[in-house]
Amino acid sequence: MIKQHPTQAVLRAFIQGDLDPSVAIIVSSHIEMCEQCQKEVNQLTEIAAEKAFEQDIMDSFDPCTHQAFDSSLSKNMIDEIMSLPLDESMIEESVPNQEMYEDIEPAHSEQNQKIISHKDGHLPLPRALSSLDAAPWQGVGKVSRARFQFNDDERRLSLLKIDKGGQIPQHTHTGIEITLLLEGSFEDDMGTYQKGDFIWLDKAHTHSPITQDGCICLTLVSDALHFTQGFSKLLNPLGKLIY
Amino acid sequence: MHTSIKTFGKYKDDSIATPPQLSTELCCWLNSVAKQRDKKAFTELFNFFAPKIKRFGISKLNNEAMANELVQDTMSLVWKKAHLFEASKGAATTWVYTLMRNTCFDTLRKMKHKDNISLSDDIWPSDLTEELSDDSEFKDHLLNEKVLRCIDSLPLAQQSIIKGVYYQELTQEQLAKQLGIPLGTVKSRLRLALSKLKQQMGDRDHD
Ligand SMILES: [Zn+2]
Repeated sequence: MIKQHPTQAVLRAFIQGDLDPSVAIIVSSHIEMCEQCQKEVNQLTEIAAEKAFEQDIMDSFDPCTHQAFDSSLSKNMIDEIMSLPLDESMIEESVPNQEMYEDIEPAHSEQNQKIISHKDGHLPLPRALSSLDAAPWQGVGKVSRARFQFNDDERRLSLLKIDKGGQIPQHTHTGIEITLLLEGSFEDDMGTYQKGDFIWLDKAHTHSPITQDGCICLTLVSDALHFTQGFSKLLNPLGKLIY
Repeated sequence: MHTSIKTFGKYKDDSIATPPQLSTELCCWLNSVAKQRDKKAFTELFNFFAPKIKRFGISKLNNEAMANELVQDTMSLVWKKAHLFEASKGAATTWVYTLMRNTCFDTLRKMKHKDNISLSDDIWPSDLTEELSDDSEFKDHLLNEKVLRCIDSLPLAQQSIIKGVYYQELTQEQLAKQLGIPLGTVKSRLRLALSKLKQQMGDRDHD
């Protein structure tokens, strides 16, 4: 049972397309695993759509943009759009044709799912990650990481695998750290987390996750981690690894 | 006492519902575009949505030319994909909103980064909402029976694929192994079976 969800403000920013891409990816990955958030997202999308397309919003609020859309521009655009070549999917819909279906990939969601291998097995990845490639696993002790090759300013999106009995020493962040538990479980000073839990920490938090049975997380870290207990020099490679 | 103050700036579920008459009209236009490539209906849709998409575009992209491009790109998708809109699965406004939001998101990302990955289809998969409503439909007892009857009317080869994937939750690879047939055959049979099922279910909805 998933206990940790993105806040409603985050879900709203998500459906409006306002989240940074890597944040949107990790939020989307949670939603795929979470029926409760799927329902909420559907509702929020409906509300946002109604608000954006409300009938009289233009008249009362935005006379300038309304006028800026003059009729000659409209006409040009409409003509251009209606002369676009029709794509295959439209033909497929109107003329069901057996041979055509043979060549088309099934629409089944399993189809596009990427599976990543790690030293203890395989893991199907969330759909939001299907277009990204991950670098090979790198590890220090019981902690290993595969970073996604993806440009999103200073944000780093990675898979983090902690083996049975592994721990990440107590640390804080200068930016944000978002964790989505994809497999297994872990606990920290604040509680126990299960598959699907979405944990958003900012710099106010200090924690040291530990896992009994091992776990794999999708993590998003926006800045270096600072270890708050001794051996910092020793732990430095781990900090770099996780970030 | 209730006064009719309009709450534009706020999210208030009860105050901003699209009037039923309008949403019926939008659905009709979309249907005409889907079925007959009706140019008049598309013009109506364009006149309704374009200024609002532009307004959305200006707020996100801060640039009038790009906002106009957003209008053109979004309305092109409406034109091309109208047949994918299903009124039973949500409002026309919601459908257009997701097209607009996705286009805008990819535009913003392309402005910032050189890589040309379009992420919006992965982040907001279009079948997410469909899956949900399918789920709730499939829980419906009557419909479930209907589905079963339809499945039983399929050729045996297709039945075994559908049952394997949906009842035993096998992957297509596992099924191919189990049935001793190539993966490509599993895929094409599944595709065929699904399209037949959709047809049959659709037909029965009308009677
Ligand atoms: Zn959730």
